[in-house]
Amino acid sequence: MQLMNASFERTTIGNIRLHVLPSEQFKTYAVSVYIGTPLSEQTVTPVALAPFVLRRGTASLPETKQFRERLDDLYGAGFGFDIYKRGDYQIVQFRMDIVEDRYVQEERTLLAQALSFIGEAITNPLLEDGAFSAKYVEAEKNTVQKKLEAIVNDKASYAAERCIQEMCKNEPYRLHPLGQIESLEAITPKSLYESYRNWLQNSPIDLYVVGNTTLAEVEGIVRSQFRGAGGQASGYLMETKQPTVEQIKTVVEKLEVNQGKLNMGLRTKATYAGDDYAAALMYNGVLGGYPHSKLFINVREKESLAYYASSRLDGHKGILTIQSGIEIANYEKAVDIIRKQLSAMEEGEITDTEMTQTKAMIANQLRQIQDSAYETIAFDFNSVLSGRQRSVQGLIDDVQRIGTSDIRRIADQVKLDTIYFLRDLKGE
Amino acid sequence: MNVIRYEHVNETVYHEKLDNGLDVYVLPKKGFHKTFATFSTKYGSIDNHFQVEGKQEVQVPDGIAHFLEHKMFEEPTGDIFATFASYGASANAFTSFDRTVYLFSATDHVMESLETLLNFVQNPYFTDENVEKEKGIIGQEINMYKDHPDWRSYFGLIEAMYSAHPVRIDIAGTIESISQITKEMLYECYHTFYHPTNMSVFVVGGVDAEEVIDRVRRNQAAKTFEPQGEIKRIFQPEPDSVHNPQKVTKLPVSQPKCLFGFKEAHDPIEARALLEKECASKLMMDILFSPTSAIYQTLYDEKLISDNFGADFNCTPGYTFSVIGGDTRDPELLLERVKQLVNDALERGIGEKDFERSRNKKIGGFLRMLNSPESIARLYTDYRFKGADAFDMLTIYRNMSLEEVNTRLHEHFNWEQLAVSIVADPKEAS
Repeated sequence: MQLMNASFERTTIGNIRLHVLPSEQFKTYAVSVYIGTPLSEQTVTPVALAPFVLRRGTASLPETKQFRERLDDLYGAGFGFDIYKRGDYQIVQFRMDIVEDRYVQEERTLLAQALSFIGEAITNPLLEDGAFSAKYVEAEKNTVQKKLEAIVNDKASYAAERCIQEMCKNEPYRLHPLGQIESLEAITPKSLYESYRNWLQNSPIDLYVVGNTTLAEVEGIVRSQFRGAGGQASGYLMETKQPTVEQIKTVVEKLEVNQGKLNMGLRTKATYAGDDYAAALMYNGVLGGYPHSKLFINVREKESLAYYASSRLDGHKGILTIQSGIEIANYEKAVDIIRKQLSAMEEGEITDTEMTQTKAMIANQLRQIQDSAYETIAFDFNSVLSGRQRSVQGLIDDVQRIGTSDIRRIADQVKLDTIYFLRDLKGE
Repeated sequence: MNVIRYEHVNETVYHEKLDNGLDVYVLPKKGFHKTFATFSTKYGSIDNHFQVEGKQEVQVPDGIAHFLEHKMFEEPTGDIFATFASYGASANAFTSFDRTVYLFSATDHVMESLETLLNFVQNPYFTDENVEKEKGIIGQEINMYKDHPDWRSYFGLIEAMYSAHPVRIDIAGTIESISQITKEMLYECYHTFYHPTNMSVFVVGGVDAEEVIDRVRRNQAAKTFEPQGEIKRIFQPEPDSVHNPQKVTKLPVSQPKCLFGFKEAHDPIEARALLEKECASKLMMDILFSPTSAIYQTLYDEKLISDNFGADFNCTPGYTFSVIGGDTRDPELLLERVKQLVNDALERGIGEKDFERSRNKKIGGFLRMLNSPESIARLYTDYRFKGADAFDMLTIYRNMSLEEVNTRLHEHFNWEQLAVSIVADPKEAS
């Protein structure tokens, strides 16, 4: 199928980079605002807390109920945010989506109303004496604390988190994107507001819009609706250096669980910005990205050891993770089988079928991005983050060219760093 | 081929009932690269006791529909995932209370993947050995859910509400129940529920409707199916009252999870009326408990709920209940406050303004859902099995009156029908 040659139109307004993709494919407008800052122990917690306070009320909609009613009145416009890590950056992503006017017989104003809403939510919060509302800060500190405490509830994501924490002990990447419980207490409405101002002024801001509009229309709205935070549009500098692995760390943790969680963290030099990214995608795909991959076939289908066994590549950080849920007694057997798959990758034991299937799966996944406004935005933002321009079709072409020797080259530099096992309280 | 045009949302569905009884639906999406296809059977975890016209009555072990779903992926030639992978198609399946759905999404070789989907689901291959092997994998899946507090609190609530209806059975069954499963039982369930008359195909995305329907028609014409009588699903009578007003599950959690809901008495009504009832109920739940509501804001300010607090409504021919709740520091206090606040709402009734706002939200939500081929397929098939048209929802919301919602409000919140499910840390056992 011929790919639609969709491309973003771009401009810069103050410290905001604007990216607009005119499209009639969707029934909605999708808006994303990315604000990124380097991960650091000092700032990670206030940066994470600020969006929680921002969602409580603005200068013109000070009560949370009014704030939310406004969204409901806009045909239940979606508004939310996510906080995550991309490389050693902490990214806050605000999202808003709203139906296109023609489906609800409105005049053409909904996009302007949505941008005005999200602009005010981010840049014009409710203030009391030059600080955030004390009531909101106090309530949201509690919310963030409860969220951090709740990480342990979902054992699969807890184990994944712990594995990274152990592996990246001496890197900013060890930090959880929601921050640290012990830093919450000292935060005051005043200190949080100062940290927020600083964050807004000094961080790269990327505003994306996908929908039935134009760059000129969006630019006009943004100029009038976003209170400029001053400053210049700055860029991202992805650190791609990796510490060398001296010896494999093994960490066993005991909790009251029925199923054991086996996670592994591996280092790779291949990152999104580098020329080896397509080869790393293939490495991950053959190893554990799909149900036809080595991990699924060998750990689950051949040995019935697990319900899930897969691998994932974090291209900005250059880390590959393996995750599996197993019967506790099968720990050694599972580690053994997984390590055998890693050796097979090093030996280049990869069939032509595995190559074609993996290429087809990766191409399919990449093409599907274009059917979702938010995924299209996220893909483009990867270029902003890494400084490496990539198009969906370009990446598909790169993947098609990969041979087993390229994968072996990746396998040679993939190093197992940490084995983490979450098990029950019984046993030695 | 029938053409069903939905003018208000600018979508068209093409439908054909094939000679063997299979329903085929296609919704072409202009501009989409992806095609999403489902092959569904009206057969889920609740169908554990049945009788086909002219045959013996059968009772099967818990979890067998889900077990069957797992086993369908195995073919004499090996695992079917590999075939999908060679077309670059991503395949999967899931089992719910009343459906089993096989699906794939692809951006290339769509027709080949569609053939693969039809063929593997219509080609059961069970051996004593492969059935035994699957018990290990599903055993791990069951163990995984055992550790999952959200799943446990949800199922705990259903178990608290229902004493006889099989909705109370965990979809995957238990390690004990699946140990009884044999290949003979799987074949029996397969031949009963995977008959074309009990199934439907839904394809949505960048496809040509004519081409898809033609492909399915030819594929099906080449296969023969014995005619099958009607399937009678047997359910033990379920008492109107809740089974157990409060169920507590011990699991290590950072703070308790508290889900509660109201069970409604069995009310057999026809499909369209059921859909209207569901829409009115969902609107009512939204007005009462959404993050915009006064109740949510009050409870949040009192630190009794966190932002994972939510409310949902399940409305089917066999069971109807609400699910409300989330994490809380104090389940008892939360329930006490909810009771006061809901009683206030019952006294005042729902006002015009809240009703309009929530109605707009539902209309917007429906339109946003139409961006997602996966959601369209799920919703459309789901309601077709119930005998209704999901796209009618938009009209239903537009024509709904405030009175209907207020009537539902007073019907639903009957404190004698309340059930509660709490997941609490064993160390903080109260």
